[in-house]
Amino acid sequence: MASALERLRRSSAVDLTGLGLVALVLFWLAVNFVKAPAEFINVGLIGLTNGAIYGIVALGYTIVYGILQLINFAHGDVFALSGLVASTVIVSVLGLDADASVPVIVGGMLLTLVVIMTMFSFVNATIERVAYKPLRHAPRLAPLITAIGVSFIVQNVGLAIYGVNFRSVPAFIPPTNVFEIGGVSYTWDKLAALMVVVPLLGLLTWFVRQTRQGKAMRAVSQDREASAMMGIDVNRTISITFAIAGSLAGAAGIVFLLQFNMRYDTGFELGLIAFTAAVLGGIGNLPGAVLGAILIGLIQAFNEGLTWFAPGSDWTRTIVFGILILILVFRPEGLLGERTPEGA
Amino acid sequence: MNAGLPTENILELDDVHVFYGAIHALKGVSLTVREGEIVTLIGANGAGKSTTLRAINGLNHARRGSIRFQGNDITTATPHTIVKGGIAQSPEGRRLFPRMTVIENLEMGAFQRTDRENFQADMDRVFELFPRLYERRTQNAGTMSGGEQQMCAIGRALMARPKLLLLDEPSMGLAPIFVEKIFEIVREINAQGTPVLLVEQNALMALDAAHRGYVMETGRIALEGEAAELKTNEAVQKAYLGLE
Ligand SMILES: Nc1ncnc2c1ncn2[C@@H]1O[C@H](COP(=O)(O)OP(=O)(O)OP(=O)(O)O)[C@@H](O)[C@H]1O
Ligand SMILES: [Mg+2]
Repeated sequence: MASALERLRRSSAVDLTGLGLVALVLFWLAVNFVKAPAEFINVGLIGLTNGAIYGIVALGYTIVYGILQLINFAHGDVFALSGLVASTVIVSVLGLDADASVPVIVGGMLLTLVVIMTMFSFVNATIERVAYKPLRHAPRLAPLITAIGVSFIVQNVGLAIYGVNFRSVPAFIPPTNVFEIGGVSYTWDKLAALMVVVPLLGLLTWFVRQTRQGKAMRAVSQDREASAMMGIDVNRTISITFAIAGSLAGAAGIVFLLQFNMRYDTGFELGLIAFTAAVLGGIGNLPGAVLGAILIGLIQAFNEGLTWFAPGSDWTRTIVFGILILILVFRPEGLLGERTPEGA
Repeated sequence: MNAGLPTENILELDDVHVFYGAIHALKGVSLTVREGEIVTLIGANGAGKSTTLRAINGLNHARRGSIRFQGNDITTATPHTIVKGGIAQSPEGRRLFPRMTVIENLEMGAFQRTDRENFQADMDRVFELFPRLYERRTQNAGTMSGGEQQMCAIGRALMARPKLLLLDEPSMGLAPIFVEKIFEIVREINAQGTPVLLVEQNALMALDAAHRGYVMETGRIALEGEAAELKTNEAVQKAYLGLE
């Protein structure tokens, strides 16, 4: 009885602190908005776009976690390698550049997407087959350590092929404005990212909710043994899950490359950011991963782009990983996740 | 008792040994299920009843001995191929997919079937057997009551249109009136031609429903025979029927 009361008091103190913090952040956002509304919205749009890219990487973490309860540390590195290979496809194979005509750009983008997504779905499924499947019945620590090993291997493959220099592609999708209204603008290269990410999110949602194989994926995530008793081929379903995660990482690699330079280790930090997003939303929860990613994208953009009392980009990592620690301590099930005995 | 039943074995276990790590859970189990039969497997807690069903389903492979289904050796087959071959199980503890709806759970029961056209009719039949499930059809299975979940688990197994139905304690956690109803349904499913291997704690009702029975003790078959005979067996009465 006393301990229950104590817990109540403690949790309400935590809630109050949390509410205070949220109020402070909202106040800070409001002041920034009032001081420079157009700039505020621009920064918000950047945050949304980056958040969407983080989102498809975060989904890769979350669907794999859902089905194997494994944090696939190699996922970020698969993303980075896919971006590097995409740079080869775009620059050396297709030769896309700023002079290309619109049909060539659209066709080139679609071709690159198909090639890279197919390729990295195989890469990721192969990683599962070779590195994780033999450890299916081992204690949970074993595949986790293997995942860290695979992360280094994939990173070093990138290093061996592409060296230490950053790679980029010519601005074949020009960063010119799609629209500009009263100082608020949005550029084509960002819209291209959304035009890739949003349909993929829709496709994944449809697949998981409506299709036979998607339902099998959910079933295996919820009870692997019962799924086997229904006649679901569990190994095949796990392979398909990794293939989907790999193709999403591939798509993310391409759209990231449109706006940023990449090299062999780009996946480390971006992977951690996406992982944080997945945990923030509730690991294993698909809409949660996207929500978490958009929140992180917004937090990062506001932190780096606002002018009134913004901590600035030096603090981005501290803030993002501070959030990770806060969630793990106070709400380990994440924003949309459910409480499970393991708290994950 | 089972005069008129065909005597062809649909399922044969021969000297099956199963281990959990170092634990020797099944120490040479042999049993058969014939076409058209209800066979019950009774025994104390931990005797190995669920393990026997798991071995049949390919979830725990026999280290020694063999399992044949319709004449084919399935001892080392993977669970999904065994299910595809026609064995469905309503497992101990129900094992529904908690964050899927009743309808989705039933769909999963039919996962391995290729005849999609009969699917709706079969679902209607399950809803006819369990009208409560129809009321709950869009509810997540994990949020239903224990009894409702049990109905869903049985319905899910029926959706496979199995050639052999394995039921692990289908009356578990149900109110007496529903227990009656479950046994009625088991008889009805059987009357329509599906052989059933029934694991039950409620030995009296199980022996009433079954044609034949096996009594398990610590990983072995201790007794077997016609259900009516087992019911009058002194040892069975003492140990499992609560009669002195
Ligand atoms: N996963 C497991 N790991 C280790 N031992 C197990 C496991 N599952 C079952 N056992 C052991 O195997 C033996 C048989 O268990 P089983 O579940 O088959 O019994 P049962 O007859 O179904 O019992 P109940 O009536 O309680 O359901 C028991 O001694 C049990 O402790
Ligand atoms: Mg049991």
